[in-house]
Formats: sequence, structure tokens, C-alpha cells
Amino acid sequence: MSANMKVAELTGEEITIQERTPFQIVMMRFRKHRLAMAALVVITLIFMLTLFAPYLANFEVTEISVGDYFLPFGAVDEDTGRVHYLGTDNIGRDYFSRLIFAGRVSLTVALISVLISETTGVIIGAISGYYGGALDNVLMRFVEFMLTIPSLPLLLIISSMLLANEDLIPIPAIVLNTFGKIMLLNPRDTRSAVLIIMVLAGFGWLGSAQLMRGMVLQIKQQTFVEAARSLGASNTWIIFKHMIPNAMAPIIVSASLGLAGYVVAEAALAFLGFGIQDPVPTWGNMLSATQTFMMDKPWLPLVPGLPIFICSLSFNYIGDGLRDALDPRLKM
Amino acid sequence: MVAYLVRRVLQMILVVFISAIASFALLSLAPGGPLAGLRQTPATSRFYISAEDIARIRTKYDLDLTIPVRFTRWLIGVPRGPLVINGKEYFGDLVVGCRQPIEEEFLNDRGKYETRVTGCSEIVYLRDLTGRSASRGILLGDFGVSWRLLRDRPVSDLIVSRLPKTLQLIGLETLFSILIGVPLGIYSAVKQYSKFDYFFTSLAFMGSAMPTFFFGILMILAFSILPRNAGLPYLPPGLSESVRDYTIPLLGTITAGSASDRVLHLILPVSVLTLVNVAFWSRYIRSSMLEVLRQDYVRTARAKGLRENVVIMKHALRNGLIPFVTIVVFTLPGLFSGAIITESIFSWPGMGRLYLLALGDSDYPVAMAVFFIIAVLTVIATLLRDILYTVVDPRIRLK
Repeated sequence: MSANMKVAELTGEEITIQERTPFQIVMMRFRKHRLAMAALVVITLIFMLTLFAPYLANFEVTEISVGDYFLPFGAVDEDTGRVHYLGTDNIGRDYFSRLIFAGRVSLTVALISVLISETTGVIIGAISGYYGGALDNVLMRFVEFMLTIPSLPLLLIISSMLLANEDLIPIPAIVLNTFGKIMLLNPRDTRSAVLIIMVLAGFGWLGSAQLMRGMVLQIKQQTFVEAARSLGASNTWIIFKHMIPNAMAPIIVSASLGLAGYVVAEAALAFLGFGIQDPVPTWGNMLSATQTFMMDKPWLPLVPGLPIFICSLSFNYIGDGLRDALDPRLKM
Repeated sequence: MVAYLVRRVLQMILVVFISAIASFALLSLAPGGPLAGLRQTPATSRFYISAEDIARIRTKYDLDLTIPVRFTRWLIGVPRGPLVINGKEYFGDLVVGCRQPIEEEFLNDRGKYETRVTGCSEIVYLRDLTGRSASRGILLGDFGVSWRLLRDRPVSDLIVSRLPKTLQLIGLETLFSILIGVPLGIYSAVKQYSKFDYFFTSLAFMGSAMPTFFFGILMILAFSILPRNAGLPYLPPGLSESVRDYTIPLLGTITAGSASDRVLHLILPVSVLTLVNVAFWSRYIRSSMLEVLRQDYVRTARAKGLRENVVIMKHALRNGLIPFVTIVVFTLPGLFSGAIITESIFSWPGMGRLYLLALGDSDYPVAMAVFFIIAVLTVIATLLRDILYTVVDPRIRLK
């Protein structure tokens, strides 16, 4: 566009600023949070590693090389020429292969737990806040009561009980098969993972239900809800088309922080011996196993420990970035 | 206010009761217990346990009774026998349990054998409970006897021996984390957006994302294993006091069980818990101070020409600390459970580790007692917090 061009020749598109969708605005703000962007890259990398675990891993998860205990980083398997990128553990299993398969289990558990708990929390919170009255009272007293009890001791009791009665708890075969395919475990091993998801999500929805209820109470007062109702919208329509989409911002933030929480919680349960047990690798039980040998091999705990910390930190940064991007008023 | 308190106390009792039922129900459904492993002994062995022996053990630990009866005996120590009014017995032949169930093996539809109870060869009636030893009930502070960890010894013995250790840890941790965290938070808020603020907020952010168990292991690596391997002074990595005398470079020989031995063992666990909580406290105080510093009365105080020190210390801090007081009370029971992980990493013989051991070894009376204590503490702390709110902030009225 040259300086002496006549104004009348400009088309409409040239003189108006390009309109941005809400999604574009959020993405633009999110990109400004440099640490959150870095965290997103790191998380994407970790997800890629676990997604392509079967192609990247040199060894089977349970493959034991007899005699090759505690091999150093980058050691080469003599018979087959395959490389132990991160060495081997106390019974000769390859650390790198186990680590990326463990990531698959740990991240799947966290993702599905978040999905279940946020969905349940959103629906229950929305119904409770929207209808109010006795239903609201009962639901919220229950949530408050559950939140009063310290979570870790309760998680420990319940998971120790569930894991001890593993075979007695009916889980539909389709659930076991689907989750088993995602986590690349056989149905037998998937059982304990599903139980841990049940335990984590069973307590996780409480917080998001409270959050959602608070948001719904605020939105209920606004004119557009009244307008929708006067146009004859049903309660279900208002809840699903008006309440939930408008309350999504804090829920998305709490979901991404929840991911960090679940990765750590799952690892903590496994670390204390009440989570997914050894032949199935998770970051928590691998870390717990290294504790015995750390006197002689001080670098060992870092191998499964760092991924837990990096994931937790990254999900926290992403949550922070999302909070700034979605709702700048919420900034701490 | 009085009506509010009465309602809250009633609510509290209800919550305690429900958590008692919940923990009891969960753990009475779980397998294991004092009989675990006993049935596997072969009949030819010198230690063979006959059916009669098992029945005796079941009787001893009340396992022969039905769950509701067991629950009331566990909670309040009744029934102890038939109801006696004017020397006459009532309800003496009420069935309360089964001493020797008849068990049969069935082939289930998945092709496995499973044991099912098909009947009862020796029924327990209410009058059989006369003279049987029973606890006074956990509501009166009698937690019964341990099944496995300290077989046949009162659970309270275990708890009494472990409680001081946990209190020591929690007390020191709370003290230090507040002493460090509060000034850090205030300074960060006053110098908002300074380099110091950026540094500490990002550090606190990382601290809050750091899982305690990994942090504990890192601390053991950094202050115990690596210096020890390098021949430098190191800190003991676990337990609350050592078993044998040991020598630390520069410090000399430490006698096992001496004061310096105990202090050395405290340093690592306390600093792990402290550092994690400093992150929490400083973030909390910072945001609460920032809110207060934006208020009009702070601007007025500055406009009047007061020195910045006075404005912050006298005007802002007082109001900034209001939520702090209540949060401190509320974190106490949380600390109790938060210590579970730390105690497990450092093999610290406290309540948290006791809880883990009890759960792992299916010693349910112990686990139920610890859980019950935590639940009661939490409920009391919640009430205290609400009352403290009104004390420190007269704007809040209880209804």
C-alpha cells in the first residue's frame, strides 16, 4: 500500500482490524507467558515419548537381562547390541524402556482421573448451584464433609482396601480392555490402575463441584440467563448451553492444576506402597524401589524422580498461564 | 453465637460419628487381620492351627460377632452381655455372631474355587458375651488391642510411644516455616515486582510443585549420602536416633541416643517439611498483604506522612494477618497427615509411619485408631478456625 493511494480505493477488509475469535485471544495471551509456553513444549515432548513408547523402547518392560545389574548410562547389551540409554535396575531391567512405559501409565491415570473428576464435578456443581434448595444443601454439606477429612490417610485406607480386594470388585471388561490398550497393559494389570483412577477421581470431583457451584451462582444472576428463560429455554438447555460454557475458564485452570496433583498423588500412593505394584512400572513405584540402593548409587532416584517433578512443575506453569490467559482478573 | 456453637458442636459429633462408621466399615471389609497366614500351616506341622484354635482367636478379637455388634463394642464398649433389670436377664438368646462358620468350597463360574460360608456350627448368643474382655470403646479413649504390630498390647501404648515423635516434627516445622515464611511473604509483597519478589515467587512456585517424597530423597542425597561418600560432615539419613555410636568428620564421635544425636536426626526431616511449607506460607502471606496494601486506609496512612515502616507494620500487617491466624489452626491436622510421607522417607518412628505400617500389615485396630484421631483433630480444628475468625475479625458474625 503506497502513501499516495486514494482512501476510496481501500476495501473493507483492508481498513478493519481482523476480528479474533475468543480462542485466538486466549492463545495470544497464553503465548506471552513464556514459562507456560516452555512447559507446554516439555509436556508435549513427554507425551510424545510415552505415546511412541513401543517404538522408542529398546527392551520389553519386564525383560530381565540376567547378570546385567545396575549397568551405567549408555551401556550396550552384549548379546543383541541394544543400548541401555539410562542403564539397568537391580534385576537387570532397562531403565529407559520402563521409564517411558511408566510415563504412559502415570499420565493416563492422571488424564483419565482429571476427565472423570472434572466432568462429575461440573455436572454436580452446576445442578446443585442452579436448582438450589434442599438438593443443594445436601450435596454441598456432603462435599464439605468429605473435604474436611484429610485426604491422604483416606486415600491410603481406600486404596489399600481396594487393592487387597482387587478381584472382588466388578469392573466391566470393556473398561479394562480400553484402558489396557491405552496403557499397553494386560487386563489383569489394568485392574489396579483402574482402581487407582477410581480412588483419585472419587475424591477429586469435590473441589471442582464447589468451584462450579460458585460460578453458577454468579452467572444465575445475569440478565442473559433471564433472557434465555423468558425465551422458553428449558433448565437443561440453560445449564448445558449457558451455565457450563460460561463457567469453563476456572474449570480449565483447575483441571490443568489437577493434572499436576494427580501425577503427584498417584506417584505418592505408589511410593508408599499402596498404588500400582511393581511389575507394572509407574514413576512412583520405580522411585520407591531406588530408595534401597541410593546409598551406593546416588544418581538412581533422579531417573524416575525428575519426570514426576518436571510434569508437576509443567502442569502448574500451564495452569498459571491458562489462568492469566483465560481470566486476567484471577491473576494472583 | 451460643445457638451457633451448639449447632456446630452437634454437627461436629455427627461428623465424628460418620467418620468412625466409615473407617470401621472400610476396614472390616478388608481381608487379612490376625488370622492371615495362620491357615496355611500344614496339618503335620508342630505349629498346626486347628479349627478350634482359629475359633478361639476369632473370639479373642471379636471377629466372631456380626458387624453391627462389633461396631458398637468398638465404639462405646457395649453390649457386654444380656440386659439385666432387677436381676432378670433380657435378650439373652439374641444371636450376635457365629463362633465356627461352616465353610464349603464351590467352583464359581470363572472356573476357580472359592470359599463360601454356608452355615454355622456354633452360634454366639448375647449371654455368651458376659465376662468376655472388651475395650471401653474408642469414644472413651480405649482403642482396643493391636492385632499384629504389637500383638495383644493396647493400641494406645503404640500411639503414646509414637505421638511425641510426630508432635516434635510438626511443632518444629510449623515454628520454623512461619518464622521464615511470614517475613519472606511480607517483604515480597512490599517490594512487589522487584528482583527479590520475582526470585522468591518463582522459587515458592517450584517448591509448591515439588512432591515431598522426591524432595526428601534429594535432601538425603545432598546432605547425607554425597557428603558422606566425599568424607565431609554429613547428616544421618533416617530414624530418630541411631543405634550405634558413629563418627562424623569435624564433629567427632556422636553417642547413640544423646541429645546431639537426636538433634542431628531431626535436622533433615524438619527442614524438608519446613521448606515445603515456607513455599506455601510465603505465597499465602504475600497475596493477603498485597490485597491489604491496595486499600484506601493504607493510602491515607501514607498521605498523612507516616513512615513506610509504620504503615506496613502497624496498619497493613495487622489486617494482612487475619486470615493467617485461622489458616494456622486449620493446617495442624493436615500437617499430621502431611507428615506421613516425610516420616516414611526418613523412617521416622511417628504416627504417620505407624499408620502406614498398620495398613500394610492389616493391623486394623491401629489404623482405625490413627484415622479416628486425625478425623477428630480435623473437626476440632475446623470449629476452632470458625470461632477464631470472629475473634480476630469483628466484621464476621456467626449465625
